[in-house]
Amino acid sequence: MNLYLKLLSGSLRSRMQYKMNFLVSSLSYGLIMAVDFVLLAAILQRFDDVKGWNLYEVGLLYGISSVAITLYRVFGVEIHNFERYMVEGEFDSLLIRPVSPLSLLLTKNLDLSRIGGTAQGVIILVISIIGLSIDNFDRFLLLLYLPISIASGVVICFSLGLLTATLAFWTQRIKDFQTFTLYAPFNAANYPMNIYPGWLKIIFFTVIPVGFMNYTPILYLLDKGGSIWNLAWPPAVALVFLFLSLRFWYFGIRHYHSTGS
Amino acid sequence: MIVADQLNKHFKIYETKKGFIGSFTSLLSTKHHVVKAVNDISFNIGEGEFVGYIGPNGAGKSTTIKMLSGILHPTGGSIKVAGLSPQKRRKEVAKKIGIVFGQRTQLWWDLPLRDSFDILKEMYKVPDAKYQAFLKLYDDMLQIGQFMNTPVRKLSLGQRMRGDLAAAMIHDPDVLFLDEPTIGLDVNAKTSIRSFLKELNTKEKKTILLTTHDMDDIEQLCSRVIVINHGQIVLDGSITDLRHNIGLPSVIEVQYREKPQHLPAEFDGIEKIRWEDDKLILMYDRSVLSSPSLLQEVSKWGEPVDIQMKEPDIEEVIQKIY
Repeated sequence: MNLYLKLLSGSLRSRMQYKMNFLVSSLSYGLIMAVDFVLLAAILQRFDDVKGWNLYEVGLLYGISSVAITLYRVFGVEIHNFERYMVEGEFDSLLIRPVSPLSLLLTKNLDLSRIGGTAQGVIILVISIIGLSIDNFDRFLLLLYLPISIASGVVICFSLGLLTATLAFWTQRIKDFQTFTLYAPFNAANYPMNIYPGWLKIIFFTVIPVGFMNYTPILYLLDKGGSIWNLAWPPAVALVFLFLSLRFWYFGIRHYHSTGS
Repeated sequence: MIVADQLNKHFKIYETKKGFIGSFTSLLSTKHHVVKAVNDISFNIGEGEFVGYIGPNGAGKSTTIKMLSGILHPTGGSIKVAGLSPQKRRKEVAKKIGIVFGQRTQLWWDLPLRDSFDILKEMYKVPDAKYQAFLKLYDDMLQIGQFMNTPVRKLSLGQRMRGDLAAAMIHDPDVLFLDEPTIGLDVNAKTSIRSFLKELNTKEKKTILLTTHDMDDIEQLCSRVIVINHGQIVLDGSITDLRHNIGLPSVIEVQYREKPQHLPAEFDGIEKIRWEDDKLILMYDRSVLSSPSLLQEVSKWGEPVDIQMKEPDIEEVIQKIY
């Protein structure tokens, strides 16, 4: 724990060495996400709803998904940029330490410029919850469940990020894969899953299970279908996926032990 | 302290292609050839030995060090470092060894040197009292105190290397692996690092394995030399053995105003003479023929306009073994 704090404070101070860059990048990132949602809002204003979901309901999905991926981007920055360790051969320097490479990666750096995106996601969540026309008890339940949904989303995102990073042990570069495993699915999860064709839905509920983090529980909480079990799916899927991604990660490290970079 | 027994490391080299499609197909492709980077190497390094591990580029030096430190797992054979297998008990071994890669710093690039030490102190769970003693001792030995608060990226190469060496010693390991610690340094920096390493070995009784391309490092530091080429040991012995086997030739280049017509066919102490364009390259044995008397000799052959002394590089030494 002490080590974690030391490493994180170190990482913060390294970031602050480049103050301007930090300010500009957090501002621009938050701005891009805000514009993104304003566009969505504009479309919904015009069409009232997407397949039975109104602006505030979609806002819930959107908020959960964007808070989840941006939190991953804040804390998992070294996992996300893992290809650097392969391409520049820096992974060796993680393996000479008496700490597991994964903990070293998680503590090495924070990307605070992504906090802007998290804040924007939280604001959308707040607006949506206020705007929803449901009774106060349901609103209370929703608030209660939101942290679980977000936490599951972060874990699912982290697992997908780790799975993708692990590919780098074989392919060196992973930036191309991330579009398919992270960016596109999390963008898709901003909207209700029922707008997608069947084959995409299958993907989002199996190999890239982003549908579970927000769509499944919100469906039940907004009384649009499903049973109380919908609330158990997100944490269950997240844990299973975390387990699988860790297994794959250790398999990747064993591969690295025998091949190097 | 360090035991390698019939160590083998084979790499499969896959053909990789560029781009998304390329990286995807290379994921599935099975086209490869096998490179034997380390081929049946055995050695036993005792406590307190200072061993030079030398060989030309691509000979397998770094691969061996990576296996000894647990980064790579051997294809065959076994390793014991401080009695433990670095493959099976990597984290425990990591606490007993210190590693310096001359080409790549282990320090936190944007942070002051002190912060890197603080982080490593926590990572290796070094007690406060020991840590304070460490800071004092290594300030005495490496004078790191004067740039403790400078960000690592602003340090000179020599300072950074001293920082890296100190960082590798923070948990007081018994064994040190140094992969080209003097690479790219100027003469002064080399000298100070050499005297530090000498002190570590003699006073602190550290076992050190050093790879280098600098013959002076070997001559001044190592009591034992292991030479490898193409993944195999070609010589394992004392520095005297090395000298007996191949000599440690010094080199001078002489440029004459006019090319001398006749050169002596043989001269005591001169091992090799050859022309490279209009420069005469001489390799000689300093223990037989002193540099001043050689200079005297070459000026008898013609009128020299330029003379340069060079230290032999490892590639040339290795070539001589064959």
